[in-house]
Order: sequence, then C-alpha cells, then structure tokens
Amino acid sequence: MKARKVLGVVAGAAILGLALQGCSSDGSSGGSSPEAVDGTGKTLNVLIAANTLYPTEQKAWFDDVSAKFEKETGAKVAFETFASANDELTKIQTSVLSGQGPDVYSLGTTFTPTAYSTGAFVKLGDKQWDQVGGRDRFVPATLGIAGPDKDNEIAVPLSSRPFVLAYNTELLAAAGIDKPADSWDGLAEQAKQLTTGDQYGMAVAYADSFDPWKFIWGMSLQAGNPLVDDGKATLDDATTAAAYEAYFGWVTKDKIVDPASVGWKNAQAVAAFADGKAAFLPMTSATSRVTLDQSAVAGKYAYALLPLIPPGETKAPGDSIEAATIISGDNIVVANYSKNQDLAFALINMLTTPEQQKIYFDTFGEMPTNAEEAEAIQGDNELLAPIVDAAAKAVGTPFTGAWGDIQLALVNVVVQSIPALQSGSISDSEIESQIKTAQDAAQASLDRVK
Amino acid sequence: MLAPGGILMVLVIVIPVALALYISLVDLDQYTLRQWISAPFIGLQNYVEAATASPMFHAVGISVSFALIVEVITLPVGVAAALAAQNRFRGRAFVRSVFLIPYVLPAFVVGTVWRTMLQPNGVVNNLLDVVGIDGGLWLNGPQSYWALIAVQAWSSWPFFYLLVLSGLQSVDNEVHEAAAIDGAGWWTKLRYVIFPYLRGPVALALIISFLHNINSFTLPFVLFGVPAPTDVEVLPVLTYIASFQSFRFGLSAAMAVFSLVLIAIPLAIYLRAVKLDTGDEGPKR
Amino acid sequence: MTLELDKEQHIEAAPPRVPRKDDPVMRLLPRPLMVAIVAVLMLVVLVPLLYIFMASINSDVSVARGDFWPSEITFANYASIWTTVDLGTGLFNSVVVAGGVAVVCAFVAVSMAYVLVRYSFFGRLTILRALLALQSIPGTLILLPVFVIFSSLSTIVGVQIIGTRGALFVTYLTFALPFSTWVMVTYLRGLPRELEEAARIDGASSWLILTRIIIPLSWPGIVVSGIFAFLLGWNDVLFASVMTNPETRTVAVALQVFGATAEGGAVPIYGQMMAASLVCAVPVVVLYLVFQRYLVGGLTAGGVK
Repeated sequence: MKARKVLGVVAGAAILGLALQGCSSDGSSGGSSPEAVDGTGKTLNVLIAANTLYPTEQKAWFDDVSAKFEKETGAKVAFETFASANDELTKIQTSVLSGQGPDVYSLGTTFTPTAYSTGAFVKLGDKQWDQVGGRDRFVPATLGIAGPDKDNEIAVPLSSRPFVLAYNTELLAAAGIDKPADSWDGLAEQAKQLTTGDQYGMAVAYADSFDPWKFIWGMSLQAGNPLVDDGKATLDDATTAAAYEAYFGWVTKDKIVDPASVGWKNAQAVAAFADGKAAFLPMTSATSRVTLDQSAVAGKYAYALLPLIPPGETKAPGDSIEAATIISGDNIVVANYSKNQDLAFALINMLTTPEQQKIYFDTFGEMPTNAEEAEAIQGDNELLAPIVDAAAKAVGTPFTGAWGDIQLALVNVVVQSIPALQSGSISDSEIESQIKTAQDAAQASLDRVK
Repeated sequence: MLAPGGILMVLVIVIPVALALYISLVDLDQYTLRQWISAPFIGLQNYVEAATASPMFHAVGISVSFALIVEVITLPVGVAAALAAQNRFRGRAFVRSVFLIPYVLPAFVVGTVWRTMLQPNGVVNNLLDVVGIDGGLWLNGPQSYWALIAVQAWSSWPFFYLLVLSGLQSVDNEVHEAAAIDGAGWWTKLRYVIFPYLRGPVALALIISFLHNINSFTLPFVLFGVPAPTDVEVLPVLTYIASFQSFRFGLSAAMAVFSLVLIAIPLAIYLRAVKLDTGDEGPKR
Repeated sequence: MTLELDKEQHIEAAPPRVPRKDDPVMRLLPRPLMVAIVAVLMLVVLVPLLYIFMASINSDVSVARGDFWPSEITFANYASIWTTVDLGTGLFNSVVVAGGVAVVCAFVAVSMAYVLVRYSFFGRLTILRALLALQSIPGTLILLPVFVIFSSLSTIVGVQIIGTRGALFVTYLTFALPFSTWVMVTYLRGLPRELEEAARIDGASSWLILTRIIIPLSWPGIVVSGIFAFLLGWNDVLFASVMTNPETRTVAVALQVFGATAEGGAVPIYGQMMAASLVCAVPVVVLYLVFQRYLVGGLTAGGVK
C-alpha cells in the first residue's frame, strides 16, 4: 500500500473516480424481456474496422443498419472505425482502463483471446445466445474461437475471411496440371513444374507481419502439433522445425519463389500473382478478388483449399488436425461497462440474420457466419465455394491470452532468418536456434497467464 | 507569467509521468488492466526483467548510436541549407518552403514511401543497378541500420535548417558591414563572425534532435514492421510492442523509465559542457 | 500611460520589409557554392516527392510492384480520397487544433522565455533544465496515463472531455510548450538588452516591453516555434487516435486508414494514400510560404541608435 500513499491526494480523486467506473457490471443486467428491446432515444456505439476497399459502401451500410435498427428498437447506431488492429487494441486498452467507450466491438478473431483475457467483455450465457438467435444459427467452425470453452464464450461470429490458395487456371492448364495438390510437398512439386524464366511457381510474402505464422501454424497442426498443449508451448517439436524448413526451402532449395520475395509484404505477393508472374498465391482470402478482378489475371484464377497434408508426408498422420485455415474473420463482442447490453445483443441478432448476412456479403465480399446463408453461397457461387468449404474446415488458434506473443515469436523466427534467406541458404542449426528463442518467449508468456 | 504554462505541464506531463512510474512498479498486464488500481505491487521486478531478460540494452545501444549518427549527418546539411537560403535570390521563398517538406510529411508516409522504394526490386536498387552496384537487402539484415539512418536523416535535416535559419536572423547588419570592411573572406567571416551567433540554436538543436530521434517510433515501425529485425530494434518499437501488443504495461514502463535514466546522464553532462542552460555562450555585445 | 518611446526612439514595431537588393555585404556564401547546395538539396527532397506524386496517379497494383513511372495515369485518387475517409472534416479539425496550438504556444512561449531569460530568480535554472528534460519523455510512456487523467477529470467534472477538440488542444499545447519555450530562450538571448533597458528607464511596464518591443523583434523565433508547434499537432497519431471521436478526428488519424491492410486480402490503396499525403502536406507548406517572410534578419537595425 506504500505506493498508494506515495501517490497521495492528487491521484486520490482520480482513483476514486476510476474505482467507481472500474467496478465490473455483470453480464445479466436489465430486466427487459429478451424478445423486444426498447431503446427509444438511445444510441448504441459500435467500433468496427474501416473498410478501405468499399468506403462509400461502408458508409451507406452504416446508415442502413442504423435506420433498420431504429425501426426495430427505436435506438440509433453510431459507428466508429479504426484503421488497423493495433489501433483497435489501443482503443480497447483505453476503454477498459477508463470504463467508458464503445458498447460493441467488432474484433479480429485472432485477437479475441487477448480481449477475453482482460475480462472486460460480457460472457455469453444461455440468455445471450437466445438474444442472438441461438448457437445453431452459425456455421459450427466459426464458433471455435468464441471463448476458451463452451461455458466461457464472449464472441459472436460476424463475418468470415478464411484463408485459401489462389491459383492461375491458365498457367496450370498449360502445364497439364488439373488442380493444386492436397499436400505441401505435392504443391511444391507442381510449383517446380510451373517455374520457368521469370515466372515462378508460388508468390510468398516472407517479410509480411502476418502471413508467415499461418503457414507454420497450418503445417504444425496438420502434423499433429497444436503449438500450445495444456499451458505448454510445443514450438520446439520436430514438426514445427519441419514446417520452417519447408517454408524456407521454397526459396533456398526448391527455388520456386521469386528471390525478391524475401522482402515482400503481402501486397507485393498479390501484385506478382495479379501480373501473372506466379502460379500459386497461398494464404490469401476472398477480399483479394477486388485486386484480381481488375488485373491481368481477371477470369483466369480460382480458389482452392490450402494443402492439408504436412510437409514430409504423403498422407495425413494419425494425430493430424485437419486445419485448412485459421478461424479468420470478425467476432463481435459486448463490453461489460456498456449500459445498453440488451440493445447490443439485439443489434448482433439483427446483423447475423440470413438477410443481413447476405447484404454484408454482397457489399463487402466477406463470407457469412450464418449457416443458412453460407450454404446458399456455396451452392450458387462457383468461385467462392472453396472458400465456404475452407471456413467449415477452419480450426481456431489456441485460445490463450499469450497467443499475441506466440504469434509474434513465430513471425520473429522468419524475420531474423531473412538475411540468411537472401544470401541463399539457411542452416538447420540456425533455424533450430531461432525456434528455441521463440519457444522460450512463448513459454514465458504462457507462464504469465492468470 | 510562468503559471498557466506551468500548470498545464504539471497536469498533462508531470502527473502522467508519475503515474507511469507507478505503473512500472506494478504488475500491470492484460489480465490486471481492468482493475489497474489493485494490480499487485512488485517493486523493481519489472526493472530487473527489463535489464536481464529483455533486449532493452541492445535497443538502447542501437537507438543512441543511430541518433548520434543522424545528428552528425544532418547538422552540416541543415547549416549549409540555412546559409544558402538566407540571402535573397529569386525563388528564395519557394526554395525555403520546399526545404521544409521532408520534415512536414507525416512519418508514416515517409516510412511507407521509403519502404516501397527500398524493396529488393524497388526504385533504389534499380538505380544502383544502373551504376553497377548490387543494392542488396535494405529492409532487413545489417544494411537496414544504414537504411534507417538514411531515411531519418532525409526527413529530419530541415529541423536543423529551421533553427539555424532563425538564429541567422539575429545577426546584426553592422556585423556584416564590419566583416566586409575588414576584408574577411567568406569562410573566415562564417567561422569567426557568424558561427558564434549560431552556437545557441545549434546546441539546442543537437540535444532536441537527439532526444527526438531516440524516441522516434513511427518511422522504424512503418519501415521495418513488427517484430523488428535485430539490427534495427530501436527502443521505442520495443516499448511499443511490450505495451500495446503484448499488453505488458508494467514492463514497458520500466523499460522506458530505465532508458530515460540512462540517457539523462550524458544529457546532463552535455548541458554542463555547452552551458546551454545558463546561456554563457554567444557573442558578447 | 501611453508609451511615448515610439516617437522618441523609432523602435520598429512591425516586421521590416525584406531588403530588395542582394547586398554583397550580407552574403554568407559564395554564389556558386550557394547554388550547388540549393540544387543538391532540392534534388534530394524532390525526387522522393516526385515518387509520391507518381504513385498517386498510378494504379495500386503497380505501386505494390515497385514501379516508379506510372503504368497507367489516373487522377481518380484525388477525388476518391475525400470519400474514403472524411478527409474534409479531418483537415478542418487539424487546422483548427494545430493552428490554435501554434498561435497560443508561440505567444505563451515568448512570455515564458522572456521571464526565464531576463529575470533572475530562485529555481530558474531548474525550470530551464526541467523543460529540456520533459522533451525526452516518449509519447508511448504517457499515453495511457494521460488518458486516465482526462477520463477521471471527466468523471469528476461531469463533462465529456475525451473526444473533444479542447482536450487535444490542451494536450498538444502542453507537449509543444517546452520546446517552443527553449527556441525562444535561445533566440532572446541573442537580442540586445539596450532597447529594453531604455524602455525600462522610461518606466514602461513588463507587459508593455513584452508586447511592444520583444514580440516585434522576435518574429523569426516566433515563426519557428509556431511551426514546430503546428507540426506537432498536425502529425501526431498516437494521442489523436485515442482522444478523438469521428467528428473531431484529425487528418493524421484519417491518413492511417489509407495505410490499412486487410490481412491476406487485396492490395492497400497506395494511390489514395499518396494523394492524401500530398494534400495534407499542402496546408503546412502554404502556411510556411506565407510566414517565412518574417524569417529575416536585421530586425534590430537602427533600433539601438
């Protein structure tokens, strides 16, 4: 208590004010009935990602949603946007700290565990699930990252952006390849056939801040290594080393990627594929359509599932986790400090109806999480059918507050290896020592989980 | 007359720093954030972790050396620019304004533009190819340090230029006339007559630019991303990752405070040496 | 009592006119050297700027690929930046906040510097050193504490503070003050004391001296410290991103949106980002163009006689 005395009177008032606000409000407040919520005169504040691909459409969507919600409940919806995930994290921190801020947050799925660990969001009990139309409404795989387990969920899936492989149909046909292989080794072989002159088999963004870890995660899970097992980090397993070796091998041994790609961010990889200079673009999502449809490969590309058989194997090992993609997309959560929780759930309910999900898909190109709507798209849209399929085979990243650090550690292995990759080769021992650093960092972070 | 500014500074800077100090002594992370007032008090544990288990010293080393080298480069450039832009010539207003542009552009724009230009197949390497030099990797590996220095220098030399330009204005006309009467050459005049007037602004610019460069976060962040390659792991990016991505506020505050203390010592020595605070420099009138 | 000095001592109370001729006596550098320096620096500055312009009229895929010269020319970006984000509101907010900070800061800094330079009192050196020390504090360290303070003030006073332009204004003003004060301190130290001494002998009050003599003589310093204060408010992202709401968003935060990338999705809207950057740099450069004429020497010419 010495510290508090040191702070003294000056901070006393601040502390008092904050303490009053910091008191948690429990999830089941309010006495209004779950069916009809009356919010006349109220405004619900929602924080959502700014959509740079469809900005005017997004504004129109905001107005539309607010108008519809007002008709339904009498309350308006005020949207606030953030530019990047980092911005949103900062906003969450300041809101949690001060106990005031948006009522509803749209969160990237991989950040849901971090948000959960702050304890600042409403847990979804039976009442809340009823308020949003029930769990059965959603594609089952998308619920995988709503919480650490079924009794402690905080997030309702809003939209889905699974990761898939894009391939150039023309180049594959010219080489006599029917469709992309279902194993990583097979894919590499096909890519070798497709590498001639200044055309490369694959476009990979080694210097991206987000892409690399998804490869390693996918390959590790497919080999049976979930990366986090009961509070222990298992990055030092042989499967993860094999994953990195395969990933790096594409540039050092197989030479199926552009040597310049060691410096590429995702945008450069997409540009290379869009110019027809690469046959495969792994780790892309449906939003790439916007760029691809206006580029040289318009009409000549298709999507497929990423390989499911890990490197070094010809068929999935017994303990393999069939991970086609991370559960990627947006979840929607309600803040504990919000005074309009029933309204918030009413909004979530509205946004996850098949009709609204269809509007969302038509406007932004993001996959629905509503099961009914997802099925409809899979039936109607040939280009996007594989993406819906991928969403159904999505596996969640480990649900722990330490995941942010683990993700950073996985990417760090790649970042620190880039100079070696650029020089043309990287030794196994180098990879091993980088992985050890990552393992230590991951374990340290897991040990801090409270 | 000091009161209003003083009150503002106490409220908006001093008290937050005191709070940050408190945070550094406490185990504040994502799990304890909500009830931050009751976060467990752990004394100097954060500092110990910062000193032993984090790359803090390495980051401080990189930040300090980087800041010093940038200064060494930008000081002569800024002085030369100010001297050149002082005298009247046609288009001087335009030139003076253009000189300011690198400093005016937001750091994140500067970072994005240079990052695109420094790509392995980007503009810079293409130009170097024309003269037969293989540029290599600028955004990772050992060359990234020099890339950071070059870009920071490009965007911050106008800082010296502005301060020196304002200092040049306080040179009396009579001084110029006296030098002309004495028949002094331009270099002699610069060295013995003009430069003494610039001692004050330059001394100030050196220390401020040093501090700004040490705390420069956005440029390295946008140029190199997160996690940063070890060669350009600067302190602000490290504290940012710790605080805003790992949610380890206590540790990050400890790192920042520790580094502040480390930097304060040479700073105090510098102040003494140039007598910046007491103002015993400049020409006698 | 009115200041009778004006008639007796012809003190320059307004910024002087720029000398028309290039007086060889005033020359600092030989012509060739001056031309060389200007040419080199203009090149260094303008080439990347040219790249920004080229990128702004290019297609996004082409920029992602790393091209310098546009593969296709389109000026559409300059139109779409206004709708992609609310750039107009952002510009307005930034001009109001940063402009206000610049003006207030410059003048508060002058008065504070004057006291610190001309008067001797206990704690003077400490204050000067403290002002310098405050410059070393990184924004990331105090972001959360500042937010906490403002939000607790909100709770105590009952008025919403976070999200208002006023809160941002106060924050930026406070951050800009130490440096601006120091700029003025160094500048004022270079001013001759005789003018003030004469005024004081005549019985002028400190306030009069400050406004009639010091400020007019300090235009170069005021302009420079004003510019720095303006730039601080104009380019800050960290504090603006947490302390504004959609109506009070500044241009720096709005620009961030252009740099946003959807994970694994389409190419970022580089063209618009570059166009917006140019558009946002324009106000500052224009302001400087207007005010740089005050950056002239010889202000005390004839004043002492």
